Amino acid sequence: MRVTMGILVAMLFAVAPAWAHHSFAAEFDATKCSDITGILTKVAYENPHSYVWVDVKDASGKAVSNTFQLSSPSNLKRGGATYGVLNGSVGKEVLVRGCASRNGEANRYAASFIKLPDGAIQRVGQDVEGIFGTKIWR
Amino acid sequence: MKAHIGMTVAALCALSIAIGAQEQEKKFVEARGSVKPVPLPPGGPAPRMSDGHSDLSGVWFSGPTGKANAWSVVPDAPLKEDPVPFRPEAAAKISSMSRTERELKSPGVTCQPVGTPGMWTINPYPHQIVMKPGLYVHLIESDNAWSVVHTDGRPHKKPEDLEPLYNGDQTAHWEGDTLVIDTISIDERTWINQSGWFHSDQAHVIERLRRPSKNYLEYQYTVEDPKVLTKPWTSAWRTYSLGSEDLTENFCTNNENVDQLEKLNEAESRK
Repeated sequence: MRVTMGILVAMLFAVAPAWAHHSFAAEFDATKCSDITGILTKVAYENPHSYVWVDVKDASGKAVSNTFQLSSPSNLKRGGATYGVLNGSVGKEVLVRGCASRNGEANRYAASFIKLPDGAIQRVGQDVEGIFGTKIWR
Repeated sequence: MKAHIGMTVAALCALSIAIGAQEQEKKFVEARGSVKPVPLPPGGPAPRMSDGHSDLSGVWFSGPTGKANAWSVVPDAPLKEDPVPFRPEAAAKISSMSRTERELKSPGVTCQPVGTPGMWTINPYPHQIVMKPGLYVHLIESDNAWSVVHTDGRPHKKPEDLEPLYNGDQTAHWEGDTLVIDTISIDERTWINQSGWFHSDQAHVIERLRRPSKNYLEYQYTVEDPKVLTKPWTSAWRTYSLGSEDLTENFCTNNENVDQLEKLNEAESRK
């Protein structure tokens, strides 16, 4: 049986697209992403998306709260970002890779990874920038 | 089919190696949670129920790995499907929506019941199928939805007894080893998929499920809807693979996306 590589590849991924609950691109801007470091203050491990809040000191030294939307608990726990892992980091310094909200709301982002206090880089969202090897931006 | 899956596995291995080399060159971020897909082997013949029909029972993940693939480092190839033959007025209605408006009307975004065929097409999470002779039970994580269908080929309810339901009025029968689920009377608030494909009260959805081997499940659906489509449309077969995890609770109780998208929609409307 001779089957071309192209056909095989098509067969391999005859799967529904790995879309999330909603379109990332509709709500966040994958061209406005940055690393944000601060103290993790709170975790909401809920559906359809989980959230974490990180206090970042501004130029005057005042703590400003930043909101990060993560994936769903279904995806997070299967990827290692369990309830215990995230809550265990509250009160500690983390670095979050976040892409800004498109609706103009300040200090609101979608996160793709969190560098946890132990140094582990933990996926928490889609690869909208292509930094993990697969650009998925829908 | 075995040969197909075997060659598919070989091709995926080759592809994984190629992608691995590419990753090294580009120095991608190595993160816990990223998935490098390793497809399951066929796993032997599909089990059968006491009545001889194929047993589709199991927890099924989209794709070939038997695990969640939301953070796979291998992109999905687009499904090879014919364009959906929308009537011109239906196509105009869908294309008139901005991306933000489409999101705001999507049952998947607003956490409304996804119904039929949305349990398969508007659901990024795993499925559990529980079967016994004569009965098919479908459970999904998305908002803990379920459907129960008799598989004895009984007719639909009489027209005077029908009511619009998110899952519709469902009956099923076997065509060889393929379970065919036939659905009518689907609530018009559901979508066929995430693209904005709305349907009418005349929508008729025919879903097909088959288990070519122990570790693989395949799903296909056909939509007939003379008020929206110029002719019936049939999807490509989608591949699912057997997982070893339980489903997890997933109630949509903290949906901030609607408020956020409404703010965006207001800003875009002012432009």
